[in-house]
This record gives sequence, C-alpha cells and structure tokens, in this order.
Amino acid sequence: MTNQNEERRQESLQHQLNVLVHFAGILPLILLLGTYTRGELGFNPIEMVIQRTGRTAVAFLLLSLSCTPINSLFKLPVVGRLRKPLGLYAALYATLHFAAFSIWDYGLNFNLIWMEIREKPFIIIGASALVILIVLAATSFRFWQRKLGKWWTWLHRLAYVAGVLVVVHYLLATKGDLFSLQGDYAAPLIAGGVLIISLILRLPFVVRSLRKFFGQE
Amino acid sequence: MGKNKYQSILIQPGEVTPKHIYQSRRQFLKQIGVVGLGTMLAGCAWPVQESEPVPGGISTDSRIDDLGDSLTSLSAITGYCNFYEFTTDKESVDELAQDFVTKPWSVEVSGLVNHPRTFSLDEILENFDQEERIYRMRCVEAWSMVIPWMGFPLHKLLEEVDPTPEAKFIAFETALVPDQMDGANSGMFPFPYVEGLRLDEALHDLTLLATGLYGGPLPPQNGAPIRLVVPWKYGFKSIKSIVRISLVADQPPTLWNTIAPQEYGFYANVNPAVDHPRWSQATERRIGEPGRRETLFMNGYAEEAMSLYEGMDLNNQI
Repeated sequence: MTNQNEERRQESLQHQLNVLVHFAGILPLILLLGTYTRGELGFNPIEMVIQRTGRTAVAFLLLSLSCTPINSLFKLPVVGRLRKPLGLYAALYATLHFAAFSIWDYGLNFNLIWMEIREKPFIIIGASALVILIVLAATSFRFWQRKLGKWWTWLHRLAYVAGVLVVVHYLLATKGDLFSLQGDYAAPLIAGGVLIISLILRLPFVVRSLRKFFGQE
Repeated sequence: MGKNKYQSILIQPGEVTPKHIYQSRRQFLKQIGVVGLGTMLAGCAWPVQESEPVPGGISTDSRIDDLGDSLTSLSAITGYCNFYEFTTDKESVDELAQDFVTKPWSVEVSGLVNHPRTFSLDEILENFDQEERIYRMRCVEAWSMVIPWMGFPLHKLLEEVDPTPEAKFIAFETALVPDQMDGANSGMFPFPYVEGLRLDEALHDLTLLATGLYGGPLPPQNGAPIRLVVPWKYGFKSIKSIVRISLVADQPPTLWNTIAPQEYGFYANVNPAVDHPRWSQATERRIGEPGRRETLFMNGYAEEAMSLYEGMDLNNQI
C-alpha cells in the first residue's frame, strides 16, 4: 500500500475507534438514566449511583492506562491515541461519582464533607485521585501541551498515580479484611491486577522481551 | 414530629404496654396503641397493612416508631438485605434465598444450662407468645430502617433452659446449607455466621427472637424462620436463621470480629462518636428517605439499654 493509502487507512481506523470510545463512554450514563427513569435504582439509590459511577470511572481509567502499553507491545498508535478520550470519560464519571457523594448524599453540607475528606483516608485518597483526573482533563488540550512543554508529559504521568489511588480507594471501601482476603474483594482486586499489568508493561525490558516473543523485533 | 400519620387508637391507662414503647419522649406518642394492641391480639392474624409491594422505601402503613419515624416499606425490608451466604448483592438476596428450606426447623440450645434441649420452630411458636415490636435497625454501613418485627424476648427462652451461674455469654450460629446458599463456599467469609452477646444483654427485654415481620412469617432473605434482633447494636449483631444457641463462660467469636477485629467489635453498640476506622458513623441514610440523618447514641435506645454498660467507656469501644 502506498503511504497515502496507509495514512488514510489509519485515519479512518482512528476515527472508527474514536466513535466506538465515545459510544462506550456515553453508554453507562444512558443506562444509568434509563435505570433511574424506570424507578429501578433500588432501595438505596444514592449508594447504587455512587457505586455505578465509581466502577465506571475505574473501568475507563484502567482502559486509558492500558492504551500506551498496548501501543508499545503491538505497535498500534491508533490504540495509543485512545488514552485521551478514555481518560476524559474516567474524569467525567469520577466527577459524577463525587457529585453524587457531595450533593445528593451529603446535601452540600460542606462541614460534613470536609470532615470526611480530612479524616477518612479512603475519602482523602478518592478526592486526590479526582483532583488529578480533573487537572489532567483540563490540560488535555493541545494548547496546554504547547504551554507546558516537557512538564506536560510529566503531569500526565500522574494518571498512573491516579490509577493507584483509585484502586486503593476501592479496596478501602470494601467491608472485610484485605490482608486475609476475607470480604467482598473480587472487583477491586481485579482492578488492582489490571493496573499492575499496565504498569509492568511500561517497563522497557518487559516490552522488549514481549515484543521479541510476539516476533515484532 | 413531622409527619402526623399515625393511627389514632387510644391506649386506656390500665392496658399493658411494652416498656420501650411506653417510655417515649413525646407525650402524644402514648396515643399509639398499636403495639399494645398487638400484644393483646397476639395469636390472632395481625393484618398486614401493605397489600402489594410499594416502590421506594416508605411504607403505606402509617404507624411510627417510638421516636415518631415512619415504618420502612415491606418491599424495602425484604428487598434490600445483607445475607452474604447467598450473595453480597443486597438486592439479589430475595431471589437467591427463595429455595432456602426453613421447614422443618429446630434450634438446639445447649452449653451451660440446666435444661438443654432442642426446640422445633412449632414448639417455639406455641410456647412463646409472639408480639409486635417496632424497632429501628442501623447497619454498620450507615443505613437504617424501621421494622415491625413479630417475636418474643429472648429471656423467655433462656428462662426455659435455665442458664447455670457459670454462664456469662451466649453464642449463636446461623444455618449453613451450601446447596441452598450460593455464596456459602465463596471462601471470602469464614462461615458459618456466628454471633454472641453478654448474658445481661441477652436477658434485656429489648432483645428479641423474631419470627415474623409486618404480621407475616419472616421471609428467607430476612433470616427465616427465627433470628435475633438487638436494636441498640449494629445490624450485623442481629444474627439470622439461628440453628444453635449455647451458653458459655467466655466471650464467643463473632464472624465480623474474627474477620476484622479493629473494625467490628464484640459490643458494636451504635455510637455516632465512634467512627468505623474507614468511614464515619455520625450520620446514616434512612432507607426510603432522601439525604442523611444524625445517628443516635445506641440507635435511640440509650434510655433502655444504657444501664448494661455502667463502668464501660462506650466512646472508646467499638
């Protein structure tokens, strides 16, 4: 294929993937609104919304964090570029998650909210992850990329810090004892596992050996 | 205060009213004769006032508890349950518990008692008058309900078996039936579910063995056919589907205290001043109501139950 055709093919593929991501990004919100209008939010609707938006945020963050490793491993820049829209959806759902907690649950009682944030590690950690995601979302435009130069790359590596914070937040929200693995730990542990794999896959020597294995070198 | 929806059945001065209802803080609440009436009508079919599930949490039954709070709807009480032997998904327990066999059922009472015996459920229902008690239930997860239980005080059963002087504590055990309970072998919880009380807590008149709710028998997801209700403690103390009760000399193990002793105490008295290590206990969500409300010391039963804890610093006790 000529270079031009190859480029066009890549662009079209990128476009299709972007559409897919946006569809997947909006879907959970539509489903949640559907559940709400059908009156099926259950007996503790606040808890259900907080949990669903939280889980969706975790899922999108992990998907976003896996884009670069997948790109390195399989040379798929089209996937690599999906980290931005996926990350933005993670920030969206994290914001909705915090809004459900602060507005719907705590009625914007700033005293109470501040007390929880200040005192409870699980909330401090969640709030920190949210702050990172919002800052990353706000600086995700090319304008900031130019303005911050090399600091932009450093800043956006904080996405991995957010990933760790979010997994810890999830673990701390679960009833039970983590260290003896007693309790309802399946979901947060899986999230942790995916995160660790994404982190490992960023290590250059891991990428090199795996690429040799897949016959890419 | 608030919603003035309560039945205007008057209690005549001479009628027997359970103490915890009588000792209400608001004079006008003495007009609620429903629970006293329930005592007198024990043995008759008590009308279930909800004929169909009500979406949402607040009951169409207009009765209120001793603090003036509305009853939680039957659909919420039976549709939102923590019963991890079936599943950790609170709204799926009702479906998954449908095959739980609760007839025939027996409760073995043993240990440091002079007359150990096994009671069948029928014997229990025949020998002990069931009365209605409207209690608040406060889960450690910071949500709560108001539930009209049917049952009898545990001390009546204990009087039958006559604990020896060595007995200081009482241990309870839930049924564990893996082929009827999907989550029983998940490996995530050290079942069977066990709980315990100090003997004086068990003998307190508020401590209830419940066999029904809203005038009907307990549904499987709520701990059929017989369970404990200790309203001034976090809900995990109110052990469900009891098969074994034993009187013991030493503090018995409890499931949540075994899993995480720094988070779930043996006493587990509701106390807004004592946070769970990872979340606050100062407020709670009343199922069926928007927003949050302040959590009450001992779930609002301090007047009745405080005397059990003289000399204990409850603000330093989980």
